[in-house]
Amino acid sequence: MEYLNKIGRSRVFGWGAIVVVLVVMCLLPFVLSGGWLSSVTEMLILALAGLAVNLIVGYGGMVTFGHAGLYAVGSYAFALLELSLGVPFAIAMILAPFITAIAGAVVGWFCVRLTSHYFALLTMAFGMIIWAIINSWYSVTNGDNGLFGIPIPEMLKSIPSYYYFTLIVVTVSAIIMKVILSSPYGVILRAIRENSTRVNFLGVNVRNYKWLTFTLSAFFIGIAGALFAGFTNSVFPQFAYWTKSGEFLVVVLLGGMFSFIGPMVGSVLFVFLDKVITAYTVYWPFVLGMILILCTILFRAGIVGFISEKVLRQGDRQ
Amino acid sequence: MSEDKCVQPLLEIKGLGISFGGLQAVKDVHFDVYERQLLSIIGPNGAGKTTLFNLLTGHLKPNTGHVIFDGKNITGKSPDQISRMHIGRSFQKTSLFPRISVYENIQVAILTSRGKSLNLFSPARDMYREEVYQVLETVGLKENVNSIAGSLPHGAQRRLEIGITLASRPRVVLLDEPAAGLSPEETESLTQLIQMLARDQQLTIVFIEHDVGVVISISEKIMVLHHGELIANDVPSEIVKNKEVQRVYLGEESIWNS
Repeated sequence: MEYLNKIGRSRVFGWGAIVVVLVVMCLLPFVLSGGWLSSVTEMLILALAGLAVNLIVGYGGMVTFGHAGLYAVGSYAFALLELSLGVPFAIAMILAPFITAIAGAVVGWFCVRLTSHYFALLTMAFGMIIWAIINSWYSVTNGDNGLFGIPIPEMLKSIPSYYYFTLIVVTVSAIIMKVILSSPYGVILRAIRENSTRVNFLGVNVRNYKWLTFTLSAFFIGIAGALFAGFTNSVFPQFAYWTKSGEFLVVVLLGGMFSFIGPMVGSVLFVFLDKVITAYTVYWPFVLGMILILCTILFRAGIVGFISEKVLRQGDRQ
Repeated sequence: MSEDKCVQPLLEIKGLGISFGGLQAVKDVHFDVYERQLLSIIGPNGAGKTTLFNLLTGHLKPNTGHVIFDGKNITGKSPDQISRMHIGRSFQKTSLFPRISVYENIQVAILTSRGKSLNLFSPARDMYREEVYQVLETVGLKENVNSIAGSLPHGAQRRLEIGITLASRPRVVLLDEPAAGLSPEETESLTQLIQMLARDQQLTIVFIEHDVGVVISISEKIMVLHHGELIANDVPSEIVKNKEVQRVYLGEESIWNS
């Protein structure tokens, strides 16, 4: 009975909300100006990056400071495939995440051998190595000048069309991630976060499991990287810098790392605040810092965690 | 009695030993476990009981000796390898998945032991629902199925601890002091649970306990560990008469008499 109740309430409501949000998203190009639509595109891409990072942080229980490195691998793989090898847009878009996944598998192989802050530091070190390579390998990456003029198909050149393209890719990616996290793999991944020793004693090679998670996360952040490169038609070494990793973590923490939609809410808030606050002051990072401090003190489970707790409590009272 | 029925022991421990620096924590321990036996290991605090379990389940690598399971040498294998051979253990210090539901706590153990850990695309929600409820029924936690594991009272957590171990369908169940921290009433019902598992579900169980009173009534055989050495391994009626065991437990005679 309880089980039926659960379906009756949360699930249907959940689907309903998703449909409403998607319909609104589809209508946005008719109401928003180009500038705002670009910001929403940015939100979508950042949301996807946040979801990918949250696979590791929220579900895997490991903090990564190196995902910007992998994000940049996605961007540069996409850009170089198009610019240096003349690969068509669609193929480059498909190959980039796979290349990022391979890079993620290599980096992850080393990182999962460590835990907690050692893990975090090693991811950061790898991220910075990737940054250093991109920044100094002029013959291939054009170093700190970045790469410009990545060709985009005619039909995706307008802001609304690239927005729709991003919306589709991000939605499909999010659905795939949700499916993965609802599978036995997802259940066991959360169990590893809770108590890896016990899972080990239940017959799971925890290290390989984390490695797979790292690789999956790299795949999805590779999609985000490629999307962003296509969005701006250019790539820069800053994509790999550790502050970019910090941005992903902020998105995850702001929205709430214990819920699937947390990073999406976080990214909407992040990009929105960025756009609004920079209009008034150049000290936007200062304001962001204040917001983060408040968030970590007041809403430890992020905005989504805070709201769902309120709703749950309300539900208990009735 | 089961020894007559079975040709080969399910689990053989031969000369197992480990030392930490100068401390010989477990020393030359020999014993056999036959299928469907209910054995207990007793001994004062620090006798090396948990260390012995850690050696059997791969958490520690022994300096000497072998562990043979079902005719295969499993000495030095990793915990996940040993677990995949269906040796299950519970922990003295409760080891659950605190922030997920009781349902998922049990489900994790079922999923991992049925080779589903690399299934990435089928929804897990209803997988093995029946089995989860069966296990919860066995350990008496059916009402708590949707509770968050960490919010359960201590007694229920101890039962969930055993439930997770049982859910992985082990051929040998090693229970590390399942009654740790329980009230006398809770200990009594837990003892009944263990007895029921051995009798009705025909499980092979080895369990650790420091309270002698708990084990006397239900164990087929009792092993007494003292300073890492097995000083006795016999049926309860003989253990009670054993002079050396009495000496180890000196000062706790009241327990023996009751």
